[in-house]
Amino acid sequence: MIRFENVTKTYKGSTVALRDITVDIDKGEFVFLVGASGSGKTTFIRLLLREELPDTGQILEAGRNIVELPKWRVPYLRRNIGCVFQDFRLLPNKSVFENVAFALEVIGRPRHVVANQVPQVLDLVGLANKRDNLPGELSGGEQQRVAVARAFVNRPLILLADEPTGNLDPQTSQGIMQLLDRINRTGTTVVVATHDEVLVDKMRRRVIELSNGRMVRDQARGVYGFDGSGQGQEAV
Amino acid sequence: MAVSVDYVVRETASNLWRNRLMTVAAVLTVAVSLSLVGAALLLRQGSANATGTLERGTQVTVWMEPNANAQEISAVGTELSQLNYVRQPCVYWNKARNFAEARRLLPSDVFQATTEAEMPTSYWCTPVALTDAAQVVHTFTGTAGVLSVTEPQQTIHNEETVINVSKWVCLAIAIVLIISAAVLILNTIRMAIFARRREVSVMKLVGATNWFIRIPFMSEGLLQGLIGSLLAAVVVYFVYLFINHEGGGRTTSNIFTAMHMSGSEVLLTNVVVVIVGMAIGSIGSAIAIRRFLDV
Repeated sequence: MIRFENVTKTYKGSTVALRDITVDIDKGEFVFLVGASGSGKTTFIRLLLREELPDTGQILEAGRNIVELPKWRVPYLRRNIGCVFQDFRLLPNKSVFENVAFALEVIGRPRHVVANQVPQVLDLVGLANKRDNLPGELSGGEQQRVAVARAFVNRPLILLADEPTGNLDPQTSQGIMQLLDRINRTGTTVVVATHDEVLVDKMRRRVIELSNGRMVRDQARGVYGFDGSGQGQEAV
Repeated sequence: MAVSVDYVVRETASNLWRNRLMTVAAVLTVAVSLSLVGAALLLRQGSANATGTLERGTQVTVWMEPNANAQEISAVGTELSQLNYVRQPCVYWNKARNFAEARRLLPSDVFQATTEAEMPTSYWCTPVALTDAAQVVHTFTGTAGVLSVTEPQQTIHNEETVINVSKWVCLAIAIVLIISAAVLILNTIRMAIFARRREVSVMKLVGATNWFIRIPFMSEGLLQGLIGSLLAAVVVYFVYLFINHEGGGRTTSNIFTAMHMSGSEVLLTNVVVVIVGMAIGSIGSAIAIRRFLDV
């Protein structure tokens, strides 16, 4: 589903964000991307969204090389990728319903489809009763749920999350991760960039660790820090 | 991919309302700038009319001697009728008619001293173009029985110059105003869009195409341009009323009389104003949002 081949990305000539990264992520996998701030996690995500282009290397999503994608196709690429951010990125003047509906309107879905699908996904995230509230009236956790709902409403192939629990308390964070897990079970490939150790350790999924732009670990059922027990370094 | 009309209408209405301060700023900017543009265009049209009126109104007069005989008078009349640079027919005023006109124009004590027999007869001619007046003078001065040929030469020249200058100056002003109006409006729209850049970035994240993002902004700009230019059109209409009022119904004509404009001319000017307003609004918005649309 996602393949990075020898990808290098440098910012402004001196800061090397990613060095020669090669990695494969299959359909339906749940992957944690861990590492300190500045290790390249966000760059990884931005490259997947084609908000940046790599200096060298190829990036394939669903078999298509997105580096060669013409500009006009990029919006269509992004409709197949849902993304959730640390700062939620909701439209402040639209209600919960409208925020989620927006993702459908953008692709031209007619009103009745919108009226059908949005309540479904709001149910999934547990916010059916808050459909008419504005983001400002919601807690952080609830806002993030709205963001997840919006990311998922189009049933994308890939769901990305860049520090989704960064602004949330531990308990709420758990809830969000459970939500992402449920979404993963429907077959969506999920990649979560995070430095929340507790969550990573709890879920025991594939862990890819970045350090200074290099991939230093790729472990199936890994934990946040190196586990030291000799449990294989290669992905299964 | 077509953007649904329903979506555009809803988004435009709610965006204009939500950002109403910016909307009002944009509308007023358009209204003020385009009022000036419209007024300049109107004055230009008025100047063009004044030139036309002046050309039509200028007359050359061939005065015959009071004791000229009938033969000489009819000879001059025949020759005038054969000229192609004089509008036909020339009007012949006999002694009685000139006497009546003299009574009207001269102060009474001077008039007492004159008699009808002493009145000259005259031919009133309108040259086709202002420049032909000189030719009439040249042709008939010295002809048998002709007393003199008069034309208001110096006055023609002065008015012509003033009106020509005024026509071009108004056009230049109108162009400069259109450009500065465009810049002002563009700036106001750019500020408004900058305040909403977060919104635009979310739209891009979710996979909106550039047109999908652009169209609501352009339609907002169009509406702001439309409302502003309609306000400007009202102002232009009042300028038109003012000019026609100042110039009409007077015994002595002033520059405004000459500039009299018809209803269809002011309508045309207003149509231009409204079209310019809508174009600046929508195109200005499209330009202002460009830098935010880069992938």
